[in-house]
Amino acid sequence: MTARDLGPPSCHCTTCADEGVPMRVLGVEGAAGLARCAGEDGVASTVETTLVEPVAAGERVLVHAGVALVRLNDDESQASA
Amino acid sequence: MRFVDEFRDAELGRAVAGEILAAVDPRRHYKLMEVCGGHTHAIYKYGIDDLLPDDVELVHGPGCPVCVIPMGRVDDGIAIAHEPGVIFTCFGDMLRVPGSNGTLLDAKAQGADVRMVYSPLDALRIAREQPHREVVFFAIGFETTAPSTALTLKRAQAEGIGNFSVVCNHVTIVPPLRALLESPDLRLDGFIGPGHVSTVVGARPFEFIPRQYGRPVVISGFEPLDVLQSVLMLLRQLGEGRCEVENQYARVVPFDGNVRALEIMGEVFALRPHFEWRGLGFISQSGLRLSDAYAAFDAELRFATPGVRVADPKACQCGEVLKGVIKPWECKVFGTACTPERPIGTCMVSSEGACAAYYNFGRFARSKEAV
Repeated sequence: MTARDLGPPSCHCTTCADEGVPMRVLGVEGAAGLARCAGEDGVASTVETTLVEPVAAGERVLVHAGVALVRLNDDESQASA
Repeated sequence: MRFVDEFRDAELGRAVAGEILAAVDPRRHYKLMEVCGGHTHAIYKYGIDDLLPDDVELVHGPGCPVCVIPMGRVDDGIAIAHEPGVIFTCFGDMLRVPGSNGTLLDAKAQGADVRMVYSPLDALRIAREQPHREVVFFAIGFETTAPSTALTLKRAQAEGIGNFSVVCNHVTIVPPLRALLESPDLRLDGFIGPGHVSTVVGARPFEFIPRQYGRPVVISGFEPLDVLQSVLMLLRQLGEGRCEVENQYARVVPFDGNVRALEIMGEVFALRPHFEWRGLGFISQSGLRLSDAYAAFDAELRFATPGVRVADPKACQCGEVLKGVIKPWECKVFGTACTPERPIGTCMVSSEGACAAYYNFGRFARSKEAV
C-alpha cells in the first residue's frame, strides 16, 4: 500500500479545524496579499499570503483556512498536511 | 524523494515502533497527551496506537476547536442566525454542534440563512456581494485559525465593509494546558505538541511545561511516522532524565513561529478575562475578543444574544474525554445514543474529536470487547 492509497491527508476537512494543506503558488493576484494557489488535487483558490510575503509563482505554502501560514520547500510540503 | 510516502512507510514505522519498545522502562506506565485533534485523527486513522506497547498510553487532549465550544456559545450563534436579514456563516462541523435547543443546521431548516464557508475570507466575499444583508462569521479555533480571522477583519476595515461582523470564539492553547497540568485527577508524563498551532506561536510558549511542571514536550507533525517519532523522542527524554521542548516538526515549524501573524493578532484581538471551555469550565485569559479598534465588527455588540451559560447534557461525558480522564468508549452514550450522525457531545461532531475518531476508525468494535 502506498501513501496515495490512504487518500489525501485533508480528506476529513468538512471544517477547517486545525489542519494545514500544502499548496503551490500559481501567481500573485492584483490585490496586495493575495495569490492564486492550487492544492495537490489541482483545485485552485485565492489564498491570503500576507503572512509569508513575498511569494512567487512555483513556491509552496502551508495553507490553513484560506491563509498561508508558512513557506515550504518542495520536500517539506509533501509531508506537511 | 516523496516525503509523504516516506512519512507513511510501514517498514520505517515498524522500525520506529521497535525503538519505542526498546526505550520503554518495563516498570513504568507512560501517559502521553496529544494536544491537537489532528494528531488524534491521525493516530486512529493510521492505527498508530496498535504499534505502541501497552505501557505507552495516548491521552487525547483539548485541541479540537469544535469540541471545546460550550453550548451557550452555540445558542448565541443560533440567536444571531435567526435575526432578520442575517447571513450566518461558519465552518462545516459547527453546523452540527448541538446547542440547548438544536443546531445551526436545525436553524437553517427552520429558515435561517446559514452557510458553510472554508475561510472567513469567503464570508467577507459574501458581504461584499450582498451589501444589503448582514453577514456574520462564527469564528472558532486556536492560534492556527485566528490569523485568518484577523486578516479578514483588517481587509473588512480597509475596504469599509460595514455589513460584516464576527462572533469571536477564538481560544489560545497555553491556558488549557496549564489548567490540565493543575488538574489533580490527571497524571501526564509528557505532551505531543500541536504542529500547526506552533507554525504561528512557535515552540517558545510551551517552555513553561518543562520548566514549571517538569514534563517534556515534543512538537509533532501529522504523518504516522511523525507521531511515532515524537513518542520515541518523549520516551528518550524521560529515559535520559531530560525535560525540554523539542521540535520534531522542524521542517515546518520555526522555533519563533510567525512573528507577523502574532503582531496582526495582537492588533485585532484582545484577551477576554475568562472564557468557558466545554468540559474544562471557565479558564482565565484563554479566549479572544475583538480589540477596541475592531469593536465595530463585533457581532456580540451588534446583535442581542442570550449570553447564557448552558450546562452540558448529563449523559454526555465530553468533559472527561477532553481532559483525558476517560476514553471515549467509556462514556455511557458512546456509539449508542451519541454517534457522528446524531451527536450529543461535541467530541462526536468533528472528525478531529476523540469520540468521532474512535467511532469512525473501528474503535467501537474493539472497545465493546474491552468493556
